[in-house]
Amino acid sequence: MKRRKVDLKALPGKTAQEVDTRLPVATPLRGMLNKVFPDHWSFLLGEIALFSFIILLLTGTFLALFFEPSLQEVHYDGSYIPLQGVQMSRAYETALDLSFDVRGGLIMRQMHHWAALLFMAAIVVHMFRIFMTGAFRKPRELNWIIGLSMFWLGFTEGFAGYSLPDDALSGTGLRIASAIMLSIPVIGSWVTTSLFGGEFPGEIILSRLYILHVFLLPLILLALVSIHLGLVFIQKHTQWPGPGRTNNNVVGERFVPRYTIKQAGFFMLVFAVIALMGGLFQINPIWLFGPYEAAVVSAGSQPDWYVMFLDGSTRLMPAWDIRFLGYNIPPLFWPTVVLPGILTVLPMAYPWIEARWKKDKASHNLLQRPRDVPDRTGLAAMALAFYLVLTISGGNDIVADKFHISLNAMTWAGRIGLLILPPLAYYFARRLALGLQQHDREVLAHGVETGIIKRLPDGRFVEVHQPLAAPDEHGHTDLPYVGWTVPKKMNRLGALGPAVRGFFRPIEQPAPPQQEEQPREEITSGKS
Amino acid sequence: MTPDTPRLAAGAPKQRSRVRRRLNSALRMFAALVFAGGIYAIVAPGGAQGAAPLTPAAEAGKALYDVSCISCHGANAQGVEGRGPSLIGVGSAAVEFQVETGRMPAARQEAQAERKDPMFTNDQARQLGAFIQELGGGPQLPEGEDFASKGDIARGGELYRINCSSCHAFSGGGGALSSGKFAPTLEPATDRQIYAAMLTGPQNMPVFGDNELTPQDKFDIIAYVQNLKSDSDPGGWGLGRFGPVTEGLAIFLVGVVALVFAALWIAGKS
Amino acid sequence: MSDTNTQVRDAAGVDLDNPNLTRFDIVREGARRDGVEIVHYEAQYPPGSKGERRMTRIVAFFFLLTGIMSTLFVIAFIWWPWEYELGPHASKYYTPVLGLTLGLALVGVGLGILTWGKKLLPHEIAIQERHDGPSAPEEQKLTGNTLQFVGEEMGLGRRPVLKWSLLGLAPLGLAAAAVPIGALIKDPHHPDILFKTGFAGATPTNPIRLMHDDGTLVRPEHVSTGGQITVFPNIPGGASNHHADSPTLLIHLREDDAAKLNGQLYTINQGSTWSSFVAYSKICTHAGCPASLYEQQTNRLLCPCHQSQFLITDNARPIFGPATRSLPMLPISVDKEGYLVATGDYKVPVGPAFWEKD
Repeated sequence: MKRRKVDLKALPGKTAQEVDTRLPVATPLRGMLNKVFPDHWSFLLGEIALFSFIILLLTGTFLALFFEPSLQEVHYDGSYIPLQGVQMSRAYETALDLSFDVRGGLIMRQMHHWAALLFMAAIVVHMFRIFMTGAFRKPRELNWIIGLSMFWLGFTEGFAGYSLPDDALSGTGLRIASAIMLSIPVIGSWVTTSLFGGEFPGEIILSRLYILHVFLLPLILLALVSIHLGLVFIQKHTQWPGPGRTNNNVVGERFVPRYTIKQAGFFMLVFAVIALMGGLFQINPIWLFGPYEAAVVSAGSQPDWYVMFLDGSTRLMPAWDIRFLGYNIPPLFWPTVVLPGILTVLPMAYPWIEARWKKDKASHNLLQRPRDVPDRTGLAAMALAFYLVLTISGGNDIVADKFHISLNAMTWAGRIGLLILPPLAYYFARRLALGLQQHDREVLAHGVETGIIKRLPDGRFVEVHQPLAAPDEHGHTDLPYVGWTVPKKMNRLGALGPAVRGFFRPIEQPAPPQQEEQPREEITSGKS
Repeated sequence: MTPDTPRLAAGAPKQRSRVRRRLNSALRMFAALVFAGGIYAIVAPGGAQGAAPLTPAAEAGKALYDVSCISCHGANAQGVEGRGPSLIGVGSAAVEFQVETGRMPAARQEAQAERKDPMFTNDQARQLGAFIQELGGGPQLPEGEDFASKGDIARGGELYRINCSSCHAFSGGGGALSSGKFAPTLEPATDRQIYAAMLTGPQNMPVFGDNELTPQDKFDIIAYVQNLKSDSDPGGWGLGRFGPVTEGLAIFLVGVVALVFAALWIAGKS
Repeated sequence: MSDTNTQVRDAAGVDLDNPNLTRFDIVREGARRDGVEIVHYEAQYPPGSKGERRMTRIVAFFFLLTGIMSTLFVIAFIWWPWEYELGPHASKYYTPVLGLTLGLALVGVGLGILTWGKKLLPHEIAIQERHDGPSAPEEQKLTGNTLQFVGEEMGLGRRPVLKWSLLGLAPLGLAAAAVPIGALIKDPHHPDILFKTGFAGATPTNPIRLMHDDGTLVRPEHVSTGGQITVFPNIPGGASNHHADSPTLLIHLREDDAAKLNGQLYTINQGSTWSSFVAYSKICTHAGCPASLYEQQTNRLLCPCHQSQFLITDNARPIFGPATRSLPMLPISVDKEGYLVATGDYKVPVGPAFWEKD
């Protein structure tokens, strides 16, 4: 055999060619490398959820190596002294073993739980951003619906995880969940006994929640995450308006290298925050709660924060029982089944509701600043107020206890607040948006306040304004409002530095490429 | 339908506790009879309290009582309508608890007297207790300061969870009750104070007399509570052990805020 | 970007074999063919400048931090005492030390990568044209016709028998649904689990004794006046979660409160109290939590889950919060041997309400 010399330098190129002859990837790969993503801090909120999800999969797999979702009764003999000899389920025992008898098990448990809280928090904050900026509009309605579905899937996934260790809080939560299922008219009792395999708690529920928690729901979430990201890829990310940015282009950085590097770095930071919280802040100390026993409960029993708004709605619900012909609909039904139903359907339909309301059927790739759509901003504030009142009410006993307020007063404050605060929030947010918009328009019409006060011959004082363009005979400038940042200070205009043409200070001045000329004012991204 | 249910297969300790409970109740019955007879013997013939001479401690207590308590609880601790209840029969345990935790003397009439800096030293509180005890009898605390070391932590945990955690929370941090009342935190409570609270059921707390929780049960609970307080958290800072409420706050105030700042640094601002 | 500009460049084209092209020129040409125009590409620090060296040092520092912290993590993971000890002990810092070292290691790698990408890589602005919107009308027509053609070829319209025979496939879906539903479904009424508790079967002649959680039987003197205890049916597993609907609160009322209660008992609760003792289900009628926060002076029971409050001296009637139903009362008495017994099951179903529960 003839010995061939291996040219190491040519090896990557040669390998690439070999791959490409089998799988022609050169063109699509380059297209991906060159794909442009816009750059804005608010576009990174969804990534927090994505990265948390990856960490959840990793830490969850570790936990599954040690956890056993069994309700078999055992006597604890692990190293946590205050529970030794106590009768408990095998699930609770293995969860304790994970915390005390597996090296590094506790930090993995805590990271998993913090990552779950962060996952849900990031989803909520991200959805709020999407709503406030109008990113859900045509053509992205489908992704909005997928996102909402993922919220509810994450909600269920989180609740299942909260239930698995079979500690006193888990069991209390499950018991309430069974009561919620029972409250469904006509089929409630059938649904409950079927899911629990008999009467609460039965012996099978943890196994069912486990397969849901570690297989079915993560699988569906993974599929939806892929579709979610795929749609962002295909439809291209939305961008803020600004010079050079139109409905038909994307201005930003290419996927490789800068965008990818930023994503990788951000992933590490999300991971770091979860690791730090997992190590430094204790979460869900199940050993303090004790095993679940039907007769045991603790003051201040709460679900995790993302379930708390439904707990709050349940606490605020007046005692209204509907009874007829020997049947009844318990009060639990309305805040825990009907309300989530409304909270799912209404936002899912919102893109079409708004399109019809605003008579806007066009495709939108440019975002809107919250101030530019006062009605929607008002609605968002209204939703936020509604949500906050419910969430705070979900912990109203803790608030009452720690701030020395009457518990009954907290409940009434929640009931009244739930009716009064959202409309108030709508009004104030709308006025705020209009005011901010008005101020922007004022600057466009009259210029920037200079801080120079001039006394007129007739004794009046006026502030000198720096117009942003050559004024007409009335001293007004007729600049179009494009829905983007307007300079409000003189130094933004470069008054303290070299003057720059145009009314946005282009921080990203295009360096004229070697051969051709680029008109400056068109290429600025408006970053400031 | 026998007392020996299968659940008792759990083991010897429970058997023992049943025997103990029976033995205790028999003893208590005997003691109560003797005590009642004794009281009757002392009180009935004379027809007036104070016939028996007070011990020196009770004398000292009476002196304190006459200065600080008499205006609300009356000359012979029989109470003053609308100001303070009768203290006949409350026992020294109740007095010691109320005085040592600063709840008495009360600053004003409230829905619930709160723990504050005590006006008397523990010795004075015991003197007051002795006085009330000798005046009207009632539950008394066992001797000693350290009850925790006599108890079994794990059994105490079981008893704590079924009897106490519903109001005082799994962490002993307390919780809200109806209409502005609350179960206080157990953080500052000493062994004797916890024992006295169980024994006498101050304010809205139910009474856990020696019939419900034997003295050994109470030692177990105290052992669990004191261990709960002194055992440091293995998972980092406990966030006040409030449960999911503070955890939810932390994820937003720490996690989300930190990452939003990171995002602001990574990408453009506006 | 202006279209004219792009077209001009298209026309110009770039000869990739031109030896004078820099690699960046080729990159730019590749991007251009992908509809991406790199309009700004500029190093933030001139090569070899002080700023660049400083940034390089910062990146190196972060990576070094990661190296040190990861090493410390491994050392702590192996050698730090980790097994649980009661009270303050070094093992209580095991998890915090792991979190701190791992977190800082990740902070290091994250900030290092980001500084590298943000400061050492040239700043760029690229513009990509969007090519979305509907497909060309011609494309729509072609695809639409293809699909319609397939439909016609299947010929359902021409072959009515086939159309009807498709209905015959419906049971296949039923078969698929039947297995999971049929396996999971459980009749809540046979046996009648929702209406019965562990006290089922108790009668005045054949009562079921009450017991503590440790299995000892309950005598009246076990509960002081103003006290309460949790009791269970004295049956196998009576205190376990197999009888999660059976925990009962046995309350010893003060004489005057007992008189008040006995004076206003509901018809269904008549005869259920014994002396000044009353037993209520501990399971809240709202959502099933143990409603067990007993206030002995105000005679209220509070449920810690949703703050329903029940008035003990009035049939445990709900007086605040979302609960609508009184806590069921267990009929109790004392047997010949002096033990407290249940003389019957709860007369209304225990726990949260449901459709069939009146």
